[in-house]
Amino acid sequence: MKYHLISLGCQMNLSDAERVNTVLGQMGFSQTDDENQASILGVIACSVRQKAIDKVYARIAKWNKMKNRKTLITFVSGCILPSDNERFLKLFDLVFPMSDLPQFPEMISQYGIVTPAGLNHQNIDRETLKQSEIKTGPKQSIVQLQTIHVNKPESFKLNPGKNIEHFWDVEPTHTSDFDAFIPIQNGCDKFCTFCAVPYTRGREVSRSSIEIMNELKILIENGYKSITLLGQNVNSYGLDKKGEEITFPDLLRQIGEYGNLAGNEFWVYFTSPHPRDMTDEVIEVISQYKCLAKQIHLPVQSGDDHVLLRMNRKHSMEKYRQIIHTIRRLIPEATIFTDIIVGFTGETAEQFENTRKAMEEFEFNMAYIAQYSVRPGAASSRWEDDVLKETKKNRYHILTEELTKHSIKFNNRLIENTVRVLVRGLDRKDGYLSALTEGKIVVRFKSEDKNLIGNFVDLTIKSATPLSIEGILI
Amino acid sequence: MNKDNLHELLSVTNLTDSAYILRMSRRGLKFKTGQHILLGKAGSIHNREYSIYSGENEDFIEVLVKEVEDGLVSKQLKKSKPGEQMQIEGPLGFFIIESDLVQTSKFLFIATGSGIAPFHSFIKSYPTMDYKVIHGIRYENESYGKQDFEKSRYIACTSGEKKGDFHGRVTDYIKQNPVSTDTHCFLCGNFDMIHEVFDLLELKSIPPDQIHAEVYF
Repeated sequence: MKYHLISLGCQMNLSDAERVNTVLGQMGFSQTDDENQASILGVIACSVRQKAIDKVYARIAKWNKMKNRKTLITFVSGCILPSDNERFLKLFDLVFPMSDLPQFPEMISQYGIVTPAGLNHQNIDRETLKQSEIKTGPKQSIVQLQTIHVNKPESFKLNPGKNIEHFWDVEPTHTSDFDAFIPIQNGCDKFCTFCAVPYTRGREVSRSSIEIMNELKILIENGYKSITLLGQNVNSYGLDKKGEEITFPDLLRQIGEYGNLAGNEFWVYFTSPHPRDMTDEVIEVISQYKCLAKQIHLPVQSGDDHVLLRMNRKHSMEKYRQIIHTIRRLIPEATIFTDIIVGFTGETAEQFENTRKAMEEFEFNMAYIAQYSVRPGAASSRWEDDVLKETKKNRYHILTEELTKHSIKFNNRLIENTVRVLVRGLDRKDGYLSALTEGKIVVRFKSEDKNLIGNFVDLTIKSATPLSIEGILI
Repeated sequence: MNKDNLHELLSVTNLTDSAYILRMSRRGLKFKTGQHILLGKAGSIHNREYSIYSGENEDFIEVLVKEVEDGLVSKQLKKSKPGEQMQIEGPLGFFIIESDLVQTSKFLFIATGSGIAPFHSFIKSYPTMDYKVIHGIRYENESYGKQDFEKSRYIACTSGEKKGDFHGRVTDYIKQNPVSTDTHCFLCGNFDMIHEVFDLLELKSIPPDQIHAEVYF
């Protein structure tokens, strides 16, 4: 029997999906891309934009129609606002926060559907959901049967991030054999006004550093080359434990020490950090260890202090500037990526110009530029979206142009240099492979040797465009 | 429901028709003055952020709530009765005073409306600190907690009537009065006020790292 799972939104949801796949796989289901073949249909929802939520409503309307001709179970989890949660309870069979994933087999069985899960759930060794090699002490809730409130409001918690530790016990089913995510932190305490994550994922909760290190070691021993530490505020790691857990720079240091001793070559990334918690110590540690990738994604969102205030970002441009200076001083080879929102409520032409100047000043290698749209549940959704669509579009193009001016300069400097890259797959151009540098610059090179995929190779760079480079295999 | 986060409502004190103070059992909740909590009725899926109004050393926790016309939670909370359970998440936030500054620095607190709450918590926690508070309100009866501030340190700026200590907006008061450049300025309230005051303080040569803001939405 089969299941069909849709993951909407960010890398965190993709990472969560890897753990949902494990649970469904252990229940005897196999994944299908064809929803018509599936008995279980699920969505990992994203509340960042209304469009993503609209997709969930569209999908469940279709799935509920399909129920006229076959027996199905539908479920939704992920980032869900309380208001949507109430509506979803009437539309989906199962609605649960991701922290309740370990209880999913019981939920299915209580639903009374005859499925591999329904027949065999008693025989599922729940311990096999855990990472067998990881020894982190007993987690009672994993083995303890709990009363599950299926399809009742109580199943949604005021703080949906509570008990996320049990979710992290589930071993992920990775979709790549060289590139993996490791969630290290969940939730957000920052309350940026454009974002609903604090309301959908709850408060910041850090995962045990012992578990993280164990998961990392298993991945590296199994040949993984690229690891991304994930968290909504990844560099706030440990702060919620009030001294009972190591801090983010200490975690990076542990990883760096392990990297020095491990025989395998690998790169470790992290996303997304918040400027407020981006200390000099974090940057110093990255500069000291080879395995810590020299690529930093540091969202600025706006280059204007007034807009930053309205966004409730809790950092000033001066603070951001100091961080960039420290990165340039300690890691001159680092690439810097950012996120920017243009046309945020009330953004004037002058304030936007400050953002453009910031782009000019910081010379980002990549910027994920979004035109502001109202995000339901976020504080800013109460304000008038008063920047014209056309203005947003125009500002988006201005910043894109600014970005390419700087990225091409950086990329041109790589020409005739030897660059180490991780080969990721076939390129769109026939006869070429696609790869990423340590700094996540996209590279292509002529080769049809698929055995190179998932391995490091050295290239001599021969040409550059604003957002990619081309090289030849050495 | 997580019982660790439940706090008994001890009292509801109405300050005006639309503003009230909720006092709840502390139950060992540790916070730094200036932080906020997420508060909702026990069992409800709805909550909102409220700055803590009481001091760090008091054996209860208080918040000052301004009822929002189309609001859901502020209306629910107002109907609550002593003895009911409230659910608290937190504390959260970074609108705090570094402890080494408390006894050695001068502070200027600028608030609009219920934005006075964190400053009330500041002076309850550190009664000997050197501060001045400028409170922007429409009417004098909105001088929430005035009695707890030293009379000579509290300036009510009323924009809707000629009462209080100064008739006009907080921005008018700041324009007309000096601010020494070694002052640490804390701003709390609606973002229009915060933006304007931020600019005014910069014009008065207050370094940006001495300006701290908490925007109310």
